[in-house]
Amino acid sequence: MKEKIHNFLESDLLEKYLIGETTLEERHRVERYIAMYPEIREAYRELEDNLETFARLYARKAPEGLKNRITLSIRNQQAGRKRFIRYAIAASIAMLFFATSSVFFWNQNQHLQQENAMVTDQIRVLEADMKEQLEDVRNQFIVLNNPGTRKYMVNGNKKAQELKAIAYVNPIKKLSYINVRNLPQLPEDQCYQMWAEVNGSMVNLGILKDIQDKDKLMALPYGEKAVGYITIEPKGGNIAPSVQNIVANIKY
Amino acid sequence: MSTLLEKHIVELLKESNDKAISLLYEHYGDTLYGVAFKVVRNEELAQDVVQESFIKIWNKSHTYDASKAKLFTWLFRITRNTAIDKLRSIGNKSDREIQMDVSDVYNLGVEGIQPELMDMRKQLDKIEPKYQIVLEALFFEGMTQQEASEELDIPLGTVKSRLKIGLRELKKIYGAASFVLFYLSQGL
Repeated sequence: MKEKIHNFLESDLLEKYLIGETTLEERHRVERYIAMYPEIREAYRELEDNLETFARLYARKAPEGLKNRITLSIRNQQAGRKRFIRYAIAASIAMLFFATSSVFFWNQNQHLQQENAMVTDQIRVLEADMKEQLEDVRNQFIVLNNPGTRKYMVNGNKKAQELKAIAYVNPIKKLSYINVRNLPQLPEDQCYQMWAEVNGSMVNLGILKDIQDKDKLMALPYGEKAVGYITIEPKGGNIAPSVQNIVANIKY
Repeated sequence: MSTLLEKHIVELLKESNDKAISLLYEHYGDTLYGVAFKVVRNEELAQDVVQESFIKIWNKSHTYDASKAKLFTWLFRITRNTAIDKLRSIGNKSDREIQMDVSDVYNLGVEGIQPELMDMRKQLDKIEPKYQIVLEALFFEGMTQQEASEELDIPLGTVKSRLKIGLRELKKIYGAASFVLFYLSQGL
């Protein structure tokens, strides 16, 4: 170990380290040796003292004003740094504000876009609905107003004697409508369902709800020798008419 | 071993108290100016070096580790490196100009030299030039003994023995220097 210490001291590494001339690797090595070996630590301390004493021998009177230049530049730097920190804080706050408002407005925008899409859809549906209704009303008008329109009175059979309906059929315009005027009351678990047999196939025309508007005309699919049926079905309707429960049929 | 003065300055530096700069300048300014001048050989450049070094010292104060180096060693390293960088940055200086020249020791102007500096100068004169050269090569140039032997064209054995004697002479000066430092620290 003594030889190791001797070799190290002979290598001049300590002197190079003293004045800051070592590479990073050398520096770590020297610091390790200084920490490990008291002889090297002692030699280093002595070198440090020597350096200070030797350097002081070369001291020169620094010119007047140099001290002021130094303190001024350090104060300016400090003031600049403080100013920078102040600006940085202000900029950070502003950035945060803009970021928050951007997120807020972006969300708002997304929300409005969604709402806009929804409203547009609703308008489109309404428009389609209105067109359909208008077409229906127009057809109703044509049917009712046309001299070629035939009017059929529909009465319920004995299962529903109070059932009254009027069917309007116009073979020229190929339009047919039915106006259900009265439906006898049914138990809660049953409903009336309307069907039409057109060109050999059975079409489900849907459930007849309680008649609120007695003047409402319901369109029937037109067909040569078509037959309309009203049946009593379980609540919620059926996929095929129950023939035994036919309460009315309308030939048109 | 650090003196009370050193400890006080280091504490102020760590607190970013600019009184530290004032104290550093009072106690090390002339020495560091001398170190800078030794490297750049020009008063204006040396002043710039000292100014830049003090700014570095101020900015890097958190990196100073008292367990690894005396305050002066740290200040010296920063100043010497800044001076070398300054020379490199002005670019047109040849290596020859960076080399130490023994005659320079005697070229110092007398005007404006403080009494304590005069005293130091006398002390330096006590060390024979042949030892001074070796000490300079060691402390200012960062040369290894082998490099100094080649550069100064002196056998390695001679470099070693001159260094030994030089350091011994230097030790004799310790007392005076320590006294000056003690005196300065009392003036705080």
